[in-house]
Amino acid sequence: MSAQSIDHAAASARSIDHAAASAERFDVVVIGSGPAGQKAAIQAVKAGRTVALLEREAAIGGNCVHRGTIPSKTLRAAALRATTPLDGAQLAPNIEVRSLTSQLESVVAAHADYMQRQMQRNGVAYLPGRAGFVSPHELALRSVDGSSRTLFGDLIVIATGSRPREPREIPIDHENVLDSDSILSMIYLPRSLTVLGAGVIACEYASIFARLGVDVTMIDSGPRPLRFADGEIVDRFVAGFSRNGGRFIGGRKIASAAWDGISAVRTVLDDGSEVVSEKMLVALGRVANVEDLDLAAAGLAMDDRGQVPADENCRTAVPHIYAVGDVIGAPALASTSMEQGRRAICHALGLPPGHAPELSPIGIYTIPEIATVGLDEGQALERHGAIIVGRARFDEVARGQIGGITDGLLKLVADGSGRLLLGAHIVGEGATELIHVAQMALLAGFGIDAFIENIFNFPTLAEAYRVAALDVAEQRQALAAAPPAADRAA
Amino acid sequence: MRATTPMTQLMIGALASAPPSAGVQPYTLLHGALATRLERGDVELPLPPRVATEVLALTRDDDADIGRLAKLLHQDPALAGHVLRIANSPGYLPRSPIVSLQQAVTHLGFTLLSEIALVASMQSGVFKVRGYESELRGIWQHALASGGFAREIARKLRSNVESAFLCGLMHTIGKPLVLQTLVNESGKLGVAASRNDVRQLIDQFHIAAGGLLAKRWALPGAVCDAISSYASYTSGTAGPREPVITALADRLAFHLVDKETDESALRAHRAWVDLNLYPEDADHILARTDTVRGLVESMLL
Repeated sequence: MSAQSIDHAAASARSIDHAAASAERFDVVVIGSGPAGQKAAIQAVKAGRTVALLEREAAIGGNCVHRGTIPSKTLRAAALRATTPLDGAQLAPNIEVRSLTSQLESVVAAHADYMQRQMQRNGVAYLPGRAGFVSPHELALRSVDGSSRTLFGDLIVIATGSRPREPREIPIDHENVLDSDSILSMIYLPRSLTVLGAGVIACEYASIFARLGVDVTMIDSGPRPLRFADGEIVDRFVAGFSRNGGRFIGGRKIASAAWDGISAVRTVLDDGSEVVSEKMLVALGRVANVEDLDLAAAGLAMDDRGQVPADENCRTAVPHIYAVGDVIGAPALASTSMEQGRRAICHALGLPPGHAPELSPIGIYTIPEIATVGLDEGQALERHGAIIVGRARFDEVARGQIGGITDGLLKLVADGSGRLLLGAHIVGEGATELIHVAQMALLAGFGIDAFIENIFNFPTLAEAYRVAALDVAEQRQALAAAPPAADRAA
Repeated sequence: MRATTPMTQLMIGALASAPPSAGVQPYTLLHGALATRLERGDVELPLPPRVATEVLALTRDDDADIGRLAKLLHQDPALAGHVLRIANSPGYLPRSPIVSLQQAVTHLGFTLLSEIALVASMQSGVFKVRGYESELRGIWQHALASGGFAREIARKLRSNVESAFLCGLMHTIGKPLVLQTLVNESGKLGVAASRNDVRQLIDQFHIAAGGLLAKRWALPGAVCDAISSYASYTSGTAGPREPVITALADRLAFHLVDKETDESALRAHRAWVDLNLYPEDADHILARTDTVRGLVESMLL
């Protein structure tokens, strides 16, 4: 090290000491109290560190609790309760949306209360306010009442989450053109709804409102919704969506979309056709919440997607600053965000993080549910050359018939030998719970035959695993019995 | 539809048993009469404004079209005139003078027209209290300003925009009802209340009266909550936001219309914190005052 750089390092250390002396000091400061931030805070405090958890919204929990995951799932549950799966009964016209989400306040309050108590019990200092960097170790925290304080963190975790993207060309007024944050604040269930986008949030709300009897049109530039998911599973979802009265328009770009100021939202597509609806939901992605942070003061910059770049350990370009959850981009799921928060702290504090999760299940709360884990058919073919796919329709299992859950499908993807399990994909009610059976089988290295040789409760939807595994076994026997290709040619 | 809330019942009971502070006999008599009537629900409740109800129904009709709306407005000459006046006002910037209702409907749009219809027909048709026209006008002015500010607050919060205007507009709907009932009771009892007494009695009883009216008119749940709870919501508790938005809009309306509070007192109101609106958010909302003023000026009869 040169004399100049030693001087610089010493000056930097003096500067940090000075900053720490004039600020409230914590070992770890976590910005944002959503799933990622909470888990980071708890992991740090369990490791014996002093922790401050900062939150700019009115209550702990982030979007997951207050605007996203929990509210939409509450509406979903209400939609399923209000309409029977067998006859697709329609609700009375002009029903108030809040009557469908009457449970929401108590669910959210209970969840927020639980989290608040968990933080208190563990000694995490929960500090409401908008945080912004004033230096790489210092944050100014402004409270809603206008007061301000400075915090110093040896380690800082950015977990500020994301919000719906507002496309410049589509004016969102939160009254007629809504986003996923404001969609549940409508007074009445609309007669018709256009959904722009076909990702997870778009598909979830589109299928829920279609189930509630709303005339839903979902529009996307891609040929099919949920492009990352198994095609056959998605086709089943689209078929169910259509049976509930929904319509998917794929492969079309939006020429214009706006409230006409009179009575409808008008969407003009690139082929000149027009879709008219009472309300619109714009679900065209999300953007990271970084506007309050003043990242430059910390020596950080956003990437070209507006997210905070971080490595596989969630460490940013500034070594003592980590970023976790939606703010670093995909997969942006509550489940993966929690794990990122925990692992970031483990990495920063030199704690063993445990085995890296190789398999993250994905659960999509559409009607019907979709869940997936491991490789899909395309990925499996690419890696293994040949595959065998076993299928079980829910109408083939007794529990499906008993519960009226007959439109489900479970697929097991096996290697070419038909013995190694590579992935599982499910569409149908209960999919997001069922998928964990496959996840555990994959993690434990169980083969296809484990589903045949072991006992499942009867009647359950899990029986579909055995049916699909038997399908794989039947195909591998047929392949083994078939003469080699050369013999067939002869 | 919501029944009268326990809070409202409690309030009525408390008011009925509490001695009025003024102690003046007409005040005492009228206080007792009002409390008794409201407790029993024995108040002459007006029907909801017919044209407004039909206009609102039309906006939720699958087959609604502009022609039908124009035809409906023709049935109420006062309302039609009001619509034309607003359509030609500087706030809505017509390219050329608007002379027909069809033109006005096309220019203003379905939603705005339904709001105008609701506001105008309530102002002109629902409550008539001779001798108290200026009080009534003040009540509507305040209601309109509250509706305008509530919408601005909700837009900043990115939620509840659709219900906010209605909550703000209707949160004091009990006031004209109390005024009308007071005038009727004064006649029956042969007493005359002072203007100050009238104001105090309106303030004390309008929430209970509004609750009765909301129930009769089958107003949406959010509006019922705003009417019953805007003045008494509890800080820091989870619950619907509409009463808090309405409470803040109410204060902003007093600031705008009645110049009641100075800005520092307004900024210190607890609802800002309860809605998690930071000082810069307050700046944004206060900067919309001219928009709200324009709304009030154009919609007030």
